Amino acid sequence: MSDSTSIKLDTVIPYTTNDPSLRAELSEIDRSIRSASIFFTASAVGWLLLGTVFALIAAYKLHEPGFAVGSEYSTFGRMRAAHLNSVALGFGNNMIFGVCLWIMARLCRAPIRHGGLLLIAGAFWNIGLTVGIAGIIKGDITSVEWLEIPRYATPLLAISYVLVGIWGVMAFRFRKGEHVYVSQWYFLAALFWFPWLYVIAQIMIIWAPAQGVVQSITNWWFAHNVLGLWLTPMALGVAYYLIPKVLGRPIYSYYLSVLGFWSLALFYNWAGVHHLIGGPVPVWLISAGIVASVMMVIPVVVVAINHHMTVVGLHREGWRSPTIRFVVFGAINYTFVSLIGSAMALRDVNLVTHFTHFTVGHAHHGAYGFFGMILFGGVYYMMPRLLQREWPSAGLIKIHFWGSALGILLMVFALQIGGWIQGLQMNNPEIAFLDIVQNTMPWLKARTVSGLLLLVAHLAFALNFFWMLLAPGKTNSKDAPTLLNVKEEGAAQ
Amino acid sequence: MPVENYLELLPIIVLGVFFFAVTAYMLYWAANRGHFSDMDAQSKVIFTEEEPEGELSDTFPSKH
Repeated sequence: MSDSTSIKLDTVIPYTTNDPSLRAELSEIDRSIRSASIFFTASAVGWLLLGTVFALIAAYKLHEPGFAVGSEYSTFGRMRAAHLNSVALGFGNNMIFGVCLWIMARLCRAPIRHGGLLLIAGAFWNIGLTVGIAGIIKGDITSVEWLEIPRYATPLLAISYVLVGIWGVMAFRFRKGEHVYVSQWYFLAALFWFPWLYVIAQIMIIWAPAQGVVQSITNWWFAHNVLGLWLTPMALGVAYYLIPKVLGRPIYSYYLSVLGFWSLALFYNWAGVHHLIGGPVPVWLISAGIVASVMMVIPVVVVAINHHMTVVGLHREGWRSPTIRFVVFGAINYTFVSLIGSAMALRDVNLVTHFTHFTVGHAHHGAYGFFGMILFGGVYYMMPRLLQREWPSAGLIKIHFWGSALGILLMVFALQIGGWIQGLQMNNPEIAFLDIVQNTMPWLKARTVSGLLLLVAHLAFALNFFWMLLAPGKTNSKDAPTLLNVKEEGAAQ
Repeated sequence: MPVENYLELLPIIVLGVFFFAVTAYMLYWAANRGHFSDMDAQSKVIFTEEEPEGELSDTFPSKH
């Protein structure tokens, strides 16, 4: 428990010692994974920008359908799928490979072996994804949501994933000491769960398609679990590492963190079928999915209590840290999005939200407001330590934070309020369908505005990132690694 | 995949059993190695000699 922790709030000192001999081991670990982590993160930034452009085109076309109609390449269906795969597999997975593997190496307390393996995996992943998304735009898209990438590109992605998975297990195998921190539990479990999901989905949907509703069930079991058993544990692992690490205070209750992990492992994989409420699916299966969705309240509340109690009393210090700003914003949104998700799985609520923009808002809330923001925080913490160089601009970090935070909140409010109204109207047989479509227009325009805010935020992030990466002479002016010489200068913010 | 012939589902069933067995073994392994005991000590493993407990370790970059 954190009560026994004494935090030196009055005399804030650098996060690390300046003694090079004490720094040696940690520096060696950081150095051993530097190339791979930077490669993955730089790739993620590139995919984020590309995915944002695809998203803006798709969002704009929803209220201006005459936009960019000259070519089949820019139709809504292809742009939407290109956006989804760019941000989920391009931005999301590259961020995971970059940040989570770095944290994994640090927690294993040993320099990584075979760092080249990760670089090869990174090359395969990005080549496979480029081929896949080009295939989607060309028209080779599959008809399965979350598995739109044509089958000729998936082997490259699979090889890459296997290499990353092997690396993760090897890092764990050769760790120093017996301790396993809760973040390692989350990372290892996710590395283990994802191939299970992906292999089954590929077999039962693409290579040897199951018939009828079984295919739909597999589809939503997979799609929902990509968020729940891949993105979620990775982001929670990052939060469980960074919040206590940055604040210098152990997690409030380690017991709760273990409880949260195992209850997530137990309940989440059942939840996906709630996407098929009302469909021709066995009722017992839907009911099991609803029960599991509601049971998810347990890990969510556990995580919320744990994170809140760790931060409590240190809000001022947290606000001064770019990492904590992003991570705490993401953690708070994890609580909200998960509780909303549990409510959406209830039949009476689903009766309104199904087939509306409410679900789209929910997906962005989880994938961006929770996962994306926590991983942004991870990059802000990781990069100075890998490059031993300061972020060049505090202003750009603030633009990124406020653009992302306001952008995603506007998007979630617009789509969920508009979606709820849309659902109520669709349940009213006296309202013509085209009138309902017309009524969504203001909300869809608000969504495009939110997308522009996110674009500004991402441009600020990319500018700061590549400035830091490519112009070291202008940004390297301190002696200590990570350059947090607040002892001498006081807090910058 | 015709569902009448359940033998065709065998690879998936075998995979399922494998993944479940690994999960169960991990739970047993963790309990056996003491990962569910002495929770306070477990929570402090992220702090080291180089990055000790009680120190803030991140803030906005200062002006150059």
